[in-house]
Amino acid sequence: MPIKVSDLVNDDATLISRKCWTDQHVYELEKKGIFGKAWLFLGHESQIKNPGDFVQAYMCETPIILARGSDNEVYANINSCTHRGLPVCRADHGNTKRFVCPYHNWSYTVEGELVAIPQEREVKTKPDKSALGLKRVPRVESWRGFYFGSFDENIIPLEDYLGDMRYYLDAFLERFEGGIEFVGAPHRWVIEANWKLPMENQLGDVNHGPFLHAAVIPPEANQEILDYGLSAVTEPGHGATFRLMPEDAEVDSVAWGMEAPGAILAGPEVHEYLRETQAKAKQRVGDIRSRMKGLTYGVYPNLSFLWSNASFKVSHPRGPGKVEYWSWSVVPADAPDDVKKILRTNYSSLFGPGGILEQEDSEVWSQQFKGSNFDFADDRPYYYGLGLGEEKPHPELPGMIDITANEHYARAFFMRWRKALEAVEE
Amino acid sequence: MSELTLTPELQLSIEQFYFQEARMLDNRQYQQWFALLTEDLRYIIPSRTNPMVNNRERGNEDMISVERELEGEDSDGCPIREEGYFQLMIRVERAYKMNSWSENPPARTRRIVGNVEIMANDGDTLSIYSNFHMHYARPGGSNYLYAGQRRDTLRKAEGRYKIARREVILDYANIDYPTLGLFF
Repeated sequence: MPIKVSDLVNDDATLISRKCWTDQHVYELEKKGIFGKAWLFLGHESQIKNPGDFVQAYMCETPIILARGSDNEVYANINSCTHRGLPVCRADHGNTKRFVCPYHNWSYTVEGELVAIPQEREVKTKPDKSALGLKRVPRVESWRGFYFGSFDENIIPLEDYLGDMRYYLDAFLERFEGGIEFVGAPHRWVIEANWKLPMENQLGDVNHGPFLHAAVIPPEANQEILDYGLSAVTEPGHGATFRLMPEDAEVDSVAWGMEAPGAILAGPEVHEYLRETQAKAKQRVGDIRSRMKGLTYGVYPNLSFLWSNASFKVSHPRGPGKVEYWSWSVVPADAPDDVKKILRTNYSSLFGPGGILEQEDSEVWSQQFKGSNFDFADDRPYYYGLGLGEEKPHPELPGMIDITANEHYARAFFMRWRKALEAVEE
Repeated sequence: MSELTLTPELQLSIEQFYFQEARMLDNRQYQQWFALLTEDLRYIIPSRTNPMVNNRERGNEDMISVERELEGEDSDGCPIREEGYFQLMIRVERAYKMNSWSENPPARTRRIVGNVEIMANDGDTLSIYSNFHMHYARPGGSNYLYAGQRRDTLRKAEGRYKIARREVILDYANIDYPTLGLFF
């Protein structure tokens, strides 16, 4: 008997079934109801500055080429030849005029148009090449240089989809006069876990920090989160956690980047750069947002941003039990080159496949998938009830707000998840 | 760099150094291993990418060089790890705490170091390449094999070698290992 989605998540999402994480049928519904319908992050403009530049991306398990065309517009196409289906691009990133399929050398422009079928000379009926371009992602839009794609032609505009999350994203992105840039190719880490747990972790779960990471993070470091930490849910599936530092806080205790390892170990040039950036923050993003010291961010369904270590991440599903977790360091685009090289280690020292902290996260994500598969435990769904109903509107901040121990970010995510799956359930 | 002077004694002493190092790491004697590092050490794992192949370079060895795939310390990309003495100290300290959960129970490793090649010998500073295989057994039935090359700078001080620089070229195509946070 197929699973009923309403049996997996109860009405207030305080109880989450183990099957949400492991069941193949549920995963197929997620593909259809979430990844077939949502805006999915593809790449950032700093990765494709010039005509012919391209990067690889994924929409769920579907490989995408995100490229800047010769007309300077951005195109997203499925990386699959219309003749026999092979991927036509194998490089992670680069610059090219053509994508050529290895099998019979059908050739495509970076915009995705089919321009050459070597075999057509031999045959009498010429194929209509204009109808045989790469399959285009039907909707592509950008905000602040972030490109998203959707398979749903009728999806709402990207800006409306992001909604009030833009307020929190801007608290970071708008701090820097020249914006931000993504550093190099993503670290692509295959983890035996369900895609939703890394997402949930970065949507608001800062409370595992002093426990799971106690070998590295001293208990004092958590005091600032207890004193000033807030968790915002702008709408189900989107969330931000941050410390709202007091008005009289010292610049070094507020300034972005200062608390991470690269900056801690760096010389005065980096500290001066971070202080100068912070000095302009009030004018650029306003008083309250200049005092925000971010922690985790999530954008539904699978984009995350770790402010404290300046890293964007995407949790790409590879079946119920496997995720390809992509992460990039991001740095202010107009920082001096030597400062950028130090700031990128704010991310890589602790996070990514070699990070001191994230090796513990990937371990528990894998263990959670193992636990979710255990037999005879289905009558013990997971408890998601911490802080139920304690979140409230805030006079100055958008969304529902509470302390970070409130798991409202995860309940809201699963309410949206349930609705999305019910909509495609037969 | 002066002309390379190579003697069996030198080769033997370098190989012995690497065998002892591997034994310490496999025996989880990370504190003793840490004493083999200089305080100005750089420890780099470049990330390995899949770049475009440039057809204009066809026929040249450079076309498919390993270097083209690496985003290392001097690149505009993001290495997997670029660490110094402090980060490695944290890693060593972490290993002896009960809440280092990804290594609880601790990692079972076995390192085989080979192809030890002295590339340059400037008296007390040596540039050495070596290859390694490392078997890593993780609870739950998962076993992993890491393979790679280490490009080291060893410095002789007070009669013993210390590691002043290590660059680890890992031969992964996908990072389907549970961590690249180990001591390579």
